[in-house]
Amino acid sequence: MDRNIYAYKCKRCGELHYPYRTICKKCGENDHNEFDIVPMAKKGKLLTYTVLHNPTADFETATLSLGIVQLDDGLKMMGQLDIKEPKTGMRVTGKVDVIRKTTYDKYYGMIFSKE
Amino acid sequence: MREVYVAGIGITSFTRLEYPLYEIAAYPGLMAMRDSGLKKIDHLYVANMGGGRINDQTGLASAVIDHMSLTPAGAETIENGPASGASAIKQGFMAVASGMHDVVMVIGAERMRAVNPLEATDFVATLSHPLAEYIYGVTLPALAGMFTRLYMEKYGVTSRHLAMVAVKNHKNAMDNFFAHLHEEISIAGILDSPEASTNNPFIAEPLRFYDMCPVSDGGACLILASAEVMKKINKPMIRLAGVGQATDTHAVHERKEPTDLLAVREAARQSMAMAGITPQDVSVAELHDAFTILEIVESEEVGFFKKGEGHLALERGETQIGGKSPINPSGGLKAKGHPVGATGVGQAHEIVLQLRGEAGKRQVKNAKTGFTCNFGGFGNNVVCLTFIKEK
Repeated sequence: MDRNIYAYKCKRCGELHYPYRTICKKCGENDHNEFDIVPMAKKGKLLTYTVLHNPTADFETATLSLGIVQLDDGLKMMGQLDIKEPKTGMRVTGKVDVIRKTTYDKYYGMIFSKE
Repeated sequence: MREVYVAGIGITSFTRLEYPLYEIAAYPGLMAMRDSGLKKIDHLYVANMGGGRINDQTGLASAVIDHMSLTPAGAETIENGPASGASAIKQGFMAVASGMHDVVMVIGAERMRAVNPLEATDFVATLSHPLAEYIYGVTLPALAGMFTRLYMEKYGVTSRHLAMVAVKNHKNAMDNFFAHLHEEISIAGILDSPEASTNNPFIAEPLRFYDMCPVSDGGACLILASAEVMKKINKPMIRLAGVGQATDTHAVHERKEPTDLLAVREAARQSMAMAGITPQDVSVAELHDAFTILEIVESEEVGFFKKGEGHLALERGETQIGGKSPINPSGGLKAKGHPVGATGVGQAHEIVLQLRGEAGKRQVKNAKTGFTCNFGGFGNNVVCLTFIKEK
């Protein structure tokens, strides 16, 4: 199954939002019914990243790479990185997969790798 | 609005404290009452972030007011993330300024060492965006790491500049009895020596161990009072002259220019405008250096230095005690410690000590105007305070 993460497009002014918000940030006149749900772009450019050496308890790994990506649709998003040696400015492509596991639950989110 | 003064102050050591949270809160309150000579208060605000989550203690203010036998005065707990402390001071300011109360006690207290460090980090991380950040494993060090990388690339800040902040604040804390870390460090020791990679490892690249504040327990208290009350007690007239607060996007990635901290800029502007001063009038400042990079960036955003030049002023020694703009004479969050809910009150405590001229070896000479920046979230809720010493 091809999973997506969705952005919220204002029906009045067309501004894209991620994450979801109740009122449009640009025109400020929307109530929460007035957004179209559109899949976010999955390709983009890595703006910045970190390698976290002490991830919290749900992550059973020694390090966790996280980054902010400038997507091709103009939005930015945080995601996990599956890249050995990340560099700012590099092209990346995202895939929605399991990003966090607890005893009973699995959580899905964007994982970026080299394009 | 009436004018608001600081009648009394109190603080605990910022360290590991094996006491219940309400006692950590009550002790600085007792110290502040003794300091002011006041036996009664009209209202209590207690700033705390994690009581409900990590100490199984909700409704902290109710516990504290009774523990101090000050009932039936009103009491409220204020939670505003790491900016809880300054937020509670703001509430106290409004209560006295409005004429509703004459004497208000503001306490900040936190007990984070009750859980292991990873749990403490996870608890603080819950202030990030639940769906767009927290779920991915984002922590505050991670956000600071990403922010630092951008700042390094854009403005030429290096690991050496960050280490200079740590060295300065650790040195200042040596003269602060209440500081968490009494450990003098050197750039050679944490960056250049063969042991550097083991004693100063990466935590959230490019940030290392010595770029992070410690996880602390601690409490601090300020008693705020009207001018009429101040006439009855013999205390220096330290006026809380300016209060500013501003917010920014919850998810950090949504900011247009990710290297700007607009909420710091706006809160500082409001606070200084209300006090009728400019950044150049500030004689001593306590900035929120939970990560070394933040001291540099905040020193720019509040207006002490031009954007992108904070690290150059640091190089020239301007932010040391005795420099042109002394920052964090207490040791800052970096070395004094960071009990999240208490930090804002702790910063104000240091400024009042400095303005009274009671700061001992770390005293900034002729301190007349003091400024604090209490940074909540990753810069999405910031409270700035300005204090002025009157004759």
